[in-house]
Amino acid sequence: MTGERLDADWTSGPRQAPGEGGLAGLVRHDLRILRTYLSLGVLNLVQYRSDFVLSVVNAVITLATQVLGLSVVFGQTTDLAGWGPYDLLVLIGVHFLIGGVLGLVVRPSMEAMMEGIRLGTFDFTLVKPADSQLLASVQVVRPQALVDVLVGLGVVVFGMTRVQASLSVVDVVLSLLTLLCGLVVVYSFILALSTMAFWFVRLDNVLAIFQSLFGEAGRWPVTIFPGWLRIVLTFAVPVAFAVTVPSEALTGRLTYTSALSAAGLALLFFAASRWFWFFALRRYTGASA
Amino acid sequence: MADVATRPVSGRPDFSKVSFGALRRYYVGEFGASTANNLAYRGAVAIWVVTTVIQPMVSIVVWRTVAGPAGEVNGFTSAEFVTYFAITMLVDHLTFIWLMWEFEWRIRTGAMSPLLLRPIHPIHKDVCDNLSYKVIGLVGVLPAMVLLVIGFGGDVSGIGVVQVLTFLPALVLAMAVRFLLEWVLALSAFWLTKVSALNNLYFSLFLFLSGSFAPLAVLPEAVRTLAHASPFPWIVSFPVEVALGRRTGAEVWVGYLAQLGWILVALVLLRVVWRRAVRVYSAVGS
Amino acid sequence: MTAITVDRLHKTYLVPEREGGLRAAVGALVRRRRREVHAVTDVGFTIEPGEVVGFLGPNGAGKTTTLKMLSGLLHPTSGTATVLGHVPWERDRRYLGQMALIMGQRNQLQWDIPVLDSYKLNQAVFRIPDADFKARVEELSELLALEELLRKPVRNLSLGERMKCEIAGSLLHAPQVLFLDEPTIGLDVAMQRRIRSFVAEYNRRTGACVMLTSHYMADVEALCRRVIVIHHGRLLFDGALEELVHRFAGDKTINVELADEHPLDPAALGPLVDGHAVERSATGFSVRVPKAETPRVAARLLAGLPVSDLVIEEPPIESVIEQVFEATSAEVDGG
Repeated sequence: MTGERLDADWTSGPRQAPGEGGLAGLVRHDLRILRTYLSLGVLNLVQYRSDFVLSVVNAVITLATQVLGLSVVFGQTTDLAGWGPYDLLVLIGVHFLIGGVLGLVVRPSMEAMMEGIRLGTFDFTLVKPADSQLLASVQVVRPQALVDVLVGLGVVVFGMTRVQASLSVVDVVLSLLTLLCGLVVVYSFILALSTMAFWFVRLDNVLAIFQSLFGEAGRWPVTIFPGWLRIVLTFAVPVAFAVTVPSEALTGRLTYTSALSAAGLALLFFAASRWFWFFALRRYTGASA
Repeated sequence: MADVATRPVSGRPDFSKVSFGALRRYYVGEFGASTANNLAYRGAVAIWVVTTVIQPMVSIVVWRTVAGPAGEVNGFTSAEFVTYFAITMLVDHLTFIWLMWEFEWRIRTGAMSPLLLRPIHPIHKDVCDNLSYKVIGLVGVLPAMVLLVIGFGGDVSGIGVVQVLTFLPALVLAMAVRFLLEWVLALSAFWLTKVSALNNLYFSLFLFLSGSFAPLAVLPEAVRTLAHASPFPWIVSFPVEVALGRRTGAEVWVGYLAQLGWILVALVLLRVVWRRAVRVYSAVGS
Repeated sequence: MTAITVDRLHKTYLVPEREGGLRAAVGALVRRRRREVHAVTDVGFTIEPGEVVGFLGPNGAGKTTTLKMLSGLLHPTSGTATVLGHVPWERDRRYLGQMALIMGQRNQLQWDIPVLDSYKLNQAVFRIPDADFKARVEELSELLALEELLRKPVRNLSLGERMKCEIAGSLLHAPQVLFLDEPTIGLDVAMQRRIRSFVAEYNRRTGACVMLTSHYMADVEALCRRVIVIHHGRLLFDGALEELVHRFAGDKTINVELADEHPLDPAALGPLVDGHAVERSATGFSVRVPKAETPRVAARLLAGLPVSDLVIEEPPIESVIEQVFEATSAEVDGG
């Protein structure tokens, strides 16, 4: 080994330290991280063929179950609190779509983070020169969930052609915006829940409650729930803004008030969860002590 | 001085014969151990109980909306829907088993091996674990059932002493049917490395055919016919309807017999499939 | 009657095979290749009751596969074995009732309940009479110093304490045959020594036959007069430990102490030791020479230097074993 010359240049650092070069540089760095993790995830997808096939099968079974459920309900009525069968189909599509995005990166990453906090490997995330919240939120990508995203998109498009709501360009843009807001709200909520792992070591089950609420209650319009439950599902566990509001938008029944409140709530949830994240980190590293 | 103790005893127990005394002692010990375990993780158990409440609650909300405040759907008023799903929750909690997921884990991690090395059938351990979990979970599920009935204004006028007394045997038999059937199904993990799709399919079927999603009377004709050919109505729908006083007289006795019949079928399956499963396991290892 | 008889035992696995990289991954989507892996090939031996046998081999040699077949967890592809008169993989409960498999990395005790409660469960499973159970727990806890631990939940025990409890729990039914797979792995030296002497004591008291695998040669040296070595699934050696060293060690070490401050001249020393590398010590030196030349070199050294002491040593067992595996690896790779 001795006498062998190192050809690589080991002396120069990164041309630009991460975080320098202003906001644009920061965002570029963040996007690159996101892209790298996503492409790693896609590589994994190819590796585990059986997982991929399984998630297709699972998505088909789940979709069939939900459609059968709808047909049982609409075998007995023609409208559920003002929603027709195809309106609800769109809602199921949105539910799939949001659930898919959560399952793609948010939930697996949060599970990994909580595991890391328990085992002490989370420290490796903290020593990397990038935004800790971003790293923690995208560290695991489970590409099988893309199947759910695609199924969701398909169902939404199919349902919309049957609803025959005439959507203007503004409506479509608003719909996409509410969808994005819904995602942000749910992501922030899950992040805040997971962040509590810094205090309570065993938390995975709390995510199970959210999962169950989202999975069961999120598949129906929040408007059918009686008063107190509707408030819980709107603000405490924000399933309403994630699924119901975008579905309202896509079926042409969105009011500007709910669009505005969706945007406001998304900003609020995101800011609050980010503040909570850094608050927890300061405690974790002992910087506040 | 104590040299004698670890010497091989002259008469070893004859493991080729079933000893009910030994089995009883085992059940007492294993039940105690599982209970200690469940109490140590009471937080997790509490959370599982909370998730148990969500599905029936959503079903209540949906079907109340369908029925409307005064109307009814195929003989179910909205107050009756509430009671139906509240009792369904109790039955589901008491019959539910999670072994279809656990077996995949056991086989993947090799946790199956120690269970196979003991001179006792592994099903006994699972029975104890399950019973213990269910008993502890009742502490949360029973009050939740009462709260659902009160909170959503359920109709309990049809429930009397007779209904409760005929419900209990139906419930116990339902627990046995579902435990045995799903334990056999869980053995599929010996052949498949991933069981999620199979489980998903099974639970979709179970949801509709057992009467968990809606009372069988509300389902489309085709689904109802399919359900009656399956064991599932005897697991949920039958005990719940007995409790509600919707099944009486001869119907109840026919139901008990059907449950016993399915138990017998499951036992035969268990014997055949288990033997093959162990052979597969010992061919591949872990 | 022998305790364990193994004859021409084979175990072959089919494993999927794939190369790294994206292209190979995509290729595997279309067609999967499988490869036969011969985990155990033509292994045969017999073990008498009361024997303690070391079972050696590098990682992946087939040790655990063999132990799993002998404990009834695995079916062989071909070949026969009987343990205590039973064919293990028939999994007769009468056999399981007098056998124990202890794995250093696996936990069989219940995590959240006190150790003694786990033992009581084993009592029920193995149908141990109360009097026997009490006496054995007492004796085992005395031998392994468990008194303090029995009432604690397993999760509160250290790794070593857990292993002690694990071993005691597996012996409550007084097994006649004991398979120990890496029982001392990850433990500190004192705990290793304790477990070692316990196994020896258990063997002495009960006359049970013990098969032990370990990466720690100290375990093997302390416990096993006889060793069975397998490598690449094949039986390489079966015999006394000294015999193994004798047969496979190519070199011996000559340690020389010199009488006074002798100015050791490397140039003069060279011819005396046939040019082998010399390691200087404070009062002399040591040199490793091929076994056949040892007498000649020793005689020359005695004649040519003011020697106060000269000792010829067999090399340490670790390095012998290492040599054995290296030699056969080269053979297999080359052939």
